[in-house]
Amino acid sequence: MAYLTDYQYYQNAGGTPKDKNWGSYQFVSLDDIVNNFMLMYQGNNELINNITRYKVLFHAKRGIQELNYDAMKEIKILQLSLDDSLLFVLPSDYVNWVRVSMFQQGVLMPLTENIQTQWADTYLQDNDNNIIFDQNGNVLKPQDSPLDMSNRTIYLNSNSPYDGSEGCCVDGNWYFDFAIGARFGLNTETANNNPTFSIDKQRGVINFSSIASGQSIVLEYVSDGMEKGTDGDISVNKLFEEFIYAYIKYSILNGKLGVQEYIVNRARKDKSSLLRNAKIRLSNIHPGRLLMNLRGQAKWIK
Amino acid sequence: MFIFVKRTLMINSVRNTVQAIANKNNYGYISPQDFNLYAQQAQMDLFEDYFYQYNSWINKQNQRVSGTGYADIVKSLIEVIDSFSVTQSLNQQGNNFYNLPSDYYYINKVNYYPTKIASNVTSAAASNTLTDNAAKFVTNGVVKAGQYVVNRTSSSTSSYGGVSAYVVSVDSETQLTLTASPFGVAATVGNSYAIFSNTGIVEIERVNQNKIFYLNNSPLTSPTTAYPAYVLGGATSSVVGDSVTGILGNTITVYPTTIIENGSVSSEYIRYPLAPKWTYQTVGGTSGSPEFDSGQADYQDFELPLSDEPGIIAKICQYVGIEIREADVYRFGKQEIVEDNQIQV
Repeated sequence: MAYLTDYQYYQNAGGTPKDKNWGSYQFVSLDDIVNNFMLMYQGNNELINNITRYKVLFHAKRGIQELNYDAMKEIKILQLSLDDSLLFVLPSDYVNWVRVSMFQQGVLMPLTENIQTQWADTYLQDNDNNIIFDQNGNVLKPQDSPLDMSNRTIYLNSNSPYDGSEGCCVDGNWYFDFAIGARFGLNTETANNNPTFSIDKQRGVINFSSIASGQSIVLEYVSDGMEKGTDGDISVNKLFEEFIYAYIKYSILNGKLGVQEYIVNRARKDKSSLLRNAKIRLSNIHPGRLLMNLRGQAKWIK
Repeated sequence: MFIFVKRTLMINSVRNTVQAIANKNNYGYISPQDFNLYAQQAQMDLFEDYFYQYNSWINKQNQRVSGTGYADIVKSLIEVIDSFSVTQSLNQQGNNFYNLPSDYYYINKVNYYPTKIASNVTSAAASNTLTDNAAKFVTNGVVKAGQYVVNRTSSSTSSYGGVSAYVVSVDSETQLTLTASPFGVAATVGNSYAIFSNTGIVEIERVNQNKIFYLNNSPLTSPTTAYPAYVLGGATSSVVGDSVTGILGNTITVYPTTIIENGSVSSEYIRYPLAPKWTYQTVGGTSGSPEFDSGQADYQDFELPLSDEPGIIAKICQYVGIEIREADVYRFGKQEIVEDNQIQV
């Protein structure tokens, strides 16, 4: 991409949206990556020749996807309100989640994943528990599984034997005596008063416990950087540019017939070391950042 | 073979030399018709040889047995091949289906111009100009110097169909100055033209027929306007590549199928050299000897460089040797080529 003038950068040269180019200098576009690779790494006197552009494009996109999964951590955030169905439909570019929170009274409360309760398929049955089939011989299924409901932790839901313990209310806050000897089995993994959730990947939804109804839920997730298939929007941080070239080079050499093993190995090591370098660069560790964290070491903990 | 210098009337020099070699007591006389046939064959032979030489020298280069500067043989070969390079817009046959030129030897690149600025029909034609009396080039202000102008009239109805040029300046509301004359210089009207932006041009990549199905169905690499692709199709009776000769042209199908703007697809290709023609006038009546005349309308010299003259002569000598059943002439031609190849290796 050509360099932008200040007017193009700050005002998008009078176009809309005005903020289109803000921060764009951090990134190198997919078009530039493919173009540069075809120009600089492919040719009669290069290690790679007779390669089609779509192969370069494929490996470039795969490289960017891999970076998005584990190295770049470009977190995307989506906020939605839940209705009575307690379902949060995963975003169209969702690949994996980072954190699910509930936004309540101006505070973002991280929620706990309920790994104990899973969703389940079920079949329709008659009164004698025989499975019901349709005319094509396929089993009939209900729309929702009853196991999707009330999947709160066994310790804090209304059905728990510990529910309803006596306590004192002081200034609006409830305090309970330690139930000495009674809660040694507490599963701290799910011991949280907030709603819990579990992710149904097959169905593409997040199931929430019933108390989440009507709440504002914030999902932080990672995507694959493919920008919903719009090639023109795909870009990668410049700190990873050299790695992407190395990744494409390695992927092509690795799959090409007759390339000597030492060349493939050289390309593989090149790729791996550049990924390490880029990760270190992107972690952005410097004294200014550490300083504020290290000040905590002098704090007295009562 | 490698020095790209053209000399006018090379064909006459070649014919005189061949005659001198083959003629023995008027036994080895070559008629102009036969000479022209042999000349075309010889030129085509050497022309094709350039591509194999190029490949061979690339391999040598990669083995580090080639030099730079005056020893850069590859550069000289490229210069000769590039002298046959032509850029031409492809006629649209329908939707995303385009006709290739009939004289192409090798399609080097196919480009897509995604942004159309203006289009209409010409009102007149003159050297290096586009005239459209209905246009408002100044008022609209979108046509600018450097933009790409295409005559998108079908090449079967106009010999200028597919010819392109670039805008040099906007002279008036109705007239542009161009780098070439894509509408001819005579006062012809009614040629359809289109002007495209010279930015955002992308190369359309050639894909094999056996891959295009998979490519179209691949989420990551399916052709888009940013990364378009084409497949080459065979000549069909409905596509006449050359209106004069009636030679059928090959076609390409461009993907994505939304690339349907006539004139937006152009190709840069290596054409075949024109057939050489030694033209003459007969002196002394019909029984007189033919005298060389380069002023004839159908005169055509060799298009290969001057340094290829010995090679062309040797090639023609082989054909002539066969014609006059003279083994020495044939052997001479053959030996010359073998020695020439040995020097180049």
